Amino acid sequence: MRTSKTAIGVALAALVVLCAMFATAASAAPAWKFEEKALEGTEVVVGGAYESALTIPGLTTKCENFLYKLTVKNEAGTGKGEVTEVPLYNCTTNSTACAVKSIKAEALPWPSHLATFSTTPYIIIEGVKVPILYSGAECVLGGILVTVTGSAGGSINNSAETATFNSSTLTASGTSLKALGQKIEWSGLFPTEAFQWHREQALSVS
Amino acid sequence: MQKHRTRALATALLAVALAALGLAGSAQAKLTGNYTKFLNCPYTNEEVLKCIDSVTESGEVVLGNKKVPIEKQVILQGGYGEAIEEKEGAEFAKFYAATNGVTLSKTPQNVPGGLLGIIPEASQPALVKALIKFFFENSLTGVNSTLELAKPASEIRVSENDLAGETGTALQMPVKVHLENPFLGKNCFVGSSTNPIIWKLTTGTTSPPPPNTAISGLGGEIEFLEEGRILVSKNNKLVDNAWSAPPATGCGGILSFLVSPIINAQLGTTTAGHNTAILKGTLNVASALAVAKNNKENP
Repeated sequence: MRTSKTAIGVALAALVVLCAMFATAASAAPAWKFEEKALEGTEVVVGGAYESALTIPGLTTKCENFLYKLTVKNEAGTGKGEVTEVPLYNCTTNSTACAVKSIKAEALPWPSHLATFSTTPYIIIEGVKVPILYSGAECVLGGILVTVTGSAGGSINNSAETATFNSSTLTASGTSLKALGQKIEWSGLFPTEAFQWHREQALSVS
Repeated sequence: MQKHRTRALATALLAVALAALGLAGSAQAKLTGNYTKFLNCPYTNEEVLKCIDSVTESGEVVLGNKKVPIEKQVILQGGYGEAIEEKEGAEFAKFYAATNGVTLSKTPQNVPGGLLGIIPEASQPALVKALIKFFFENSLTGVNSTLELAKPASEIRVSENDLAGETGTALQMPVKVHLENPFLGKNCFVGSSTNPIIWKLTTGTTSPPPPNTAISGLGGEIEFLEEGRILVSKNNKLVDNAWSAPPATGCGGILSFLVSPIINAQLGTTTAGHNTAILKGTLNVASALAVAKNNKENP
């Protein structure tokens, strides 16, 4: 009899611990911070990719100028945002046969939010849509509109003030980008820098 | 003298024909590596922009009550041009026949149940019963179903954007099903050139009339070869379950008036919503110019 009481007690204690753990995870939703203070109101974050590549096995597309404009805010303690502009210029492929005739981000703004996976802060961008038209008489994709769609999660490095997107971060955040009916690889390293009210202030996510 | 001259002329003509065949053979044999799949692409035709080699390795064709699994490879090969024909919100390219004349390989597939599967013995006219008995006694009960083009290859349509986007019709083909067995004769078909079955195959999701329900295709796993000159899509799935089929005709030779209705009764309703085509396989597409260049580079 005493044994069963003890067992119930242990189970209840375990339940309490589990609830506390989940509560901690929920409260750990990261927020945008400038100089360690949570952002109030909105801020505009802009930048250009240090490097970026989109790969369908056998064909990689790179843009020399991959810029972005992101409006961020905190809502109920959680970082949210919208990607409002993604100008893409000077895009090429690693193929001698295929050139990029046109590439443009569509369906903007792309909603975004912050999340934590395995203690690392992430930015999740949803509703991504980028149609790419390739050209080249010898290019098998010549004339075919390849549309990249889906969502992408990138890990945020607070000390370097960068966001990194690659196959590992997409997998870790449960996101994926698709083109031609299959998952594709996208890698990119982006600086995170405020451009409006918090210019030159250290941006962090926690 | 006359006979001798005729024989000499015939020998000379034969030699010319053989030489021509030899030349044609060597002209085709110049493709190398990944390009050899496009041996029968009409890439010398300037209107052809892409070469295609689509190998269906498995799947099924359901016609009314009968399901025929695809167990042997069916190959669709040829080329296609610019997407200029607008239909149902998509742009379609015209197809060009394979240079060897075999645009769609005539691959017989085994019909499960054989002759009894399509002509059950019970309650048939005495003449039909007697004939079936004869065919059974002579082990001629196997029935094959062969998919054939019902119209010229130029009637096939391809939409690259629908194929890439997993939406709409990627490949439209006018086909007929040839049912083959000595008892059925040589002209037992479902579909014809005047009344073809039109498959509107998609890698996306279908919206068939009932009783069929929506099914989905797959774009497959894509890989580019030869620096983007060749696209290979493995494990792709093209589907259509909204097509209708006309009744079988010409079955049973001179007894067609008796046999065709029996087969149609066995097939059951073949109007839209009762039939399905699922084609699983590998799709190879190449730039026709790249194929021509490979041919030139390898004399």
